[in-house]
Amino acid sequence: MRRPLESASRILHFGLLHSAALLVPERQRAEWLREWRGELWHVRQACAPAESASWKGRFEVIGFCLGAFQDSLCLRRAAHSRRLSFAAMTGTPGQCLMILGAILATSYAFALLLPGVRAERSLWPRRVNPNLVLIQAQGSNYNTRPSVTPAQFRSWEGHWQSYFDGFAFYRVTREPVAFALRANRPPAEAAWNLGRASSNLFLLLGIPQRFSDSVSSASSAAGGDLPEVILSEKTWKRQFGADPHVAGGLIRMGGRMVRIAGVAPDGSLDLPGAVDAWLLGSEPAAASKAPGYVVAHLTAAGQAEMWTACVHIAATEPDGTEDDLLGISLEEWRPSPESLYLFAVFLALLALPAITTVSLGEYSVNPQKISWARRIHRWSFLGAKATLLLPIVYFVSLDLACACTSIGRENQAYIQLISTFGLCLFGLRWVLKDQRQRCPVCMHCVTHPAQVGQASRTFLDWNGTEMMCMGGHTLLHVPSLPTSWFGAQRWLYLDTSWNFLFASTTRPAP
Amino acid sequence: MARDAKNPETKLSHTAALILHALDAGFVYGFSIMEMTGLPSGTVYPAMRRLERDELIRSHWERQAIADAEQRPPRKYYKLTAGGKATLEASRKRYPLLERLIPSEEARSI
Repeated sequence: MRRPLESASRILHFGLLHSAALLVPERQRAEWLREWRGELWHVRQACAPAESASWKGRFEVIGFCLGAFQDSLCLRRAAHSRRLSFAAMTGTPGQCLMILGAILATSYAFALLLPGVRAERSLWPRRVNPNLVLIQAQGSNYNTRPSVTPAQFRSWEGHWQSYFDGFAFYRVTREPVAFALRANRPPAEAAWNLGRASSNLFLLLGIPQRFSDSVSSASSAAGGDLPEVILSEKTWKRQFGADPHVAGGLIRMGGRMVRIAGVAPDGSLDLPGAVDAWLLGSEPAAASKAPGYVVAHLTAAGQAEMWTACVHIAATEPDGTEDDLLGISLEEWRPSPESLYLFAVFLALLALPAITTVSLGEYSVNPQKISWARRIHRWSFLGAKATLLLPIVYFVSLDLACACTSIGRENQAYIQLISTFGLCLFGLRWVLKDQRQRCPVCMHCVTHPAQVGQASRTFLDWNGTEMMCMGGHTLLHVPSLPTSWFGAQRWLYLDTSWNFLFASTTRPAP
Repeated sequence: MARDAKNPETKLSHTAALILHALDAGFVYGFSIMEMTGLPSGTVYPAMRRLERDELIRSHWERQAIADAEQRPPRKYYKLTAGGKATLEASRKRYPLLERLIPSEEARSI
């Protein structure tokens, strides 16, 4: 009789322990069970030895085993609270800064990976010389048809100028082109926009004519006396697959052979005409009467007259008449991403008060004196958010603008300008709004909004939203409508008598 | 909420203080603490988990060879940490009667 009862007790004890073990987190379960089984052995020895077990002793052992459920629940709750530790970060300043930092890192990583951004920020000497203007007929825009005749150009070039100390002329013609992509392959044929330019064009622009750094220099032995063309980077990539050995190669262009001298970096020659290749030194103004474009360099006197991106020029024609012309600054027309960004940020700062109040709320009703350390903490947090936001805006807008390289630099500039403005404006609005809803003591977000009163009925009474700091430090009143005595949001600092409400959640003040 | 083991002024519950006293008095495993304090297993073991989490006590397993020699399963022993000892000293001021409930190892040997 005693032996079957003993076996049944044993099965019951182990059954209870194993059932309780199911509640224990899996990685702790084996050790937990080992401890309890070890303890059970001692409990049974002490309370219900096999040879003389009493009912009282057996119940004590069962009571001991039932205690295992409380222990397993304790471990389960502890594991759950660890899982919630990240959730407990919700609304903390650290979480906010971590999210902003992650966005910044992501946008920067995209900027490193996107080919458009890399091209924009490449190390190539892409900036043209300062104080250059494109001279066109009055009423022309930057990308309109050429309007300066070779006779006009020769006239200006031949006379002393007080406002300009250098001129270069170019005109664009459509030429059939044949070139061999690889040896022993039939030549490919295409039609390119050929820019026939004065030999000093690249010198005036400040771009070297030879690009031996970017493409491998080829032996000049192959066709040393032939005219030289400089490919645009777009053509180099599109037609030659960005072959670094393209320099020195021969092209049949308009019925004659020319030699490829190099590649002009993308963006540096954003001159009108969508030129695919440049043929320098072909005296374009002498060979034809077709109008072209003129690039001129301003003297100090010319710079003094250049107040805006455009300047009106009165030029004397060869026949003695005066012609009205327009000088468009190359620099102003192609602003760098940095200057676009700064301009858009400036506009966003101007527009910010139109979409949100820049006030951070009223703190003056505080009966306690907030320490300087807490004030510095509050302002540091605001500054950190704004500091992280600005590079985020820069990189995200650059990513957006350069995501598609086929839309052209002009459209990219518009996209960057608009996205920088929008992101900066609404980003700063968020920064201020977020700051207004953070407890000034612990900087955690206030929660549990409660609507008080009806704004439509009680204009003179308090109505609005009340939010609570879960640390038990403050209560935030946000009025629905500004009234005679309640215009902006106010903080009510809670004294220690409120602490009992926040016994389990009270956070220490920083 | 987790306690700070480095702060001896940390307030302990009566149960936790009782268990620390029992450990200090030489009752170094769960069942012996239950016997000494009269607390049920459902109270003692969870309390010891919390004390271990707060680094006031630490545990170690008995060597298997010792358990095998005595033909029983190995046990898990607990002992006070430095932080636990400091907290125990602070709790003696808070719960002076605990000293009488659990005589120290020294007193028992006399």
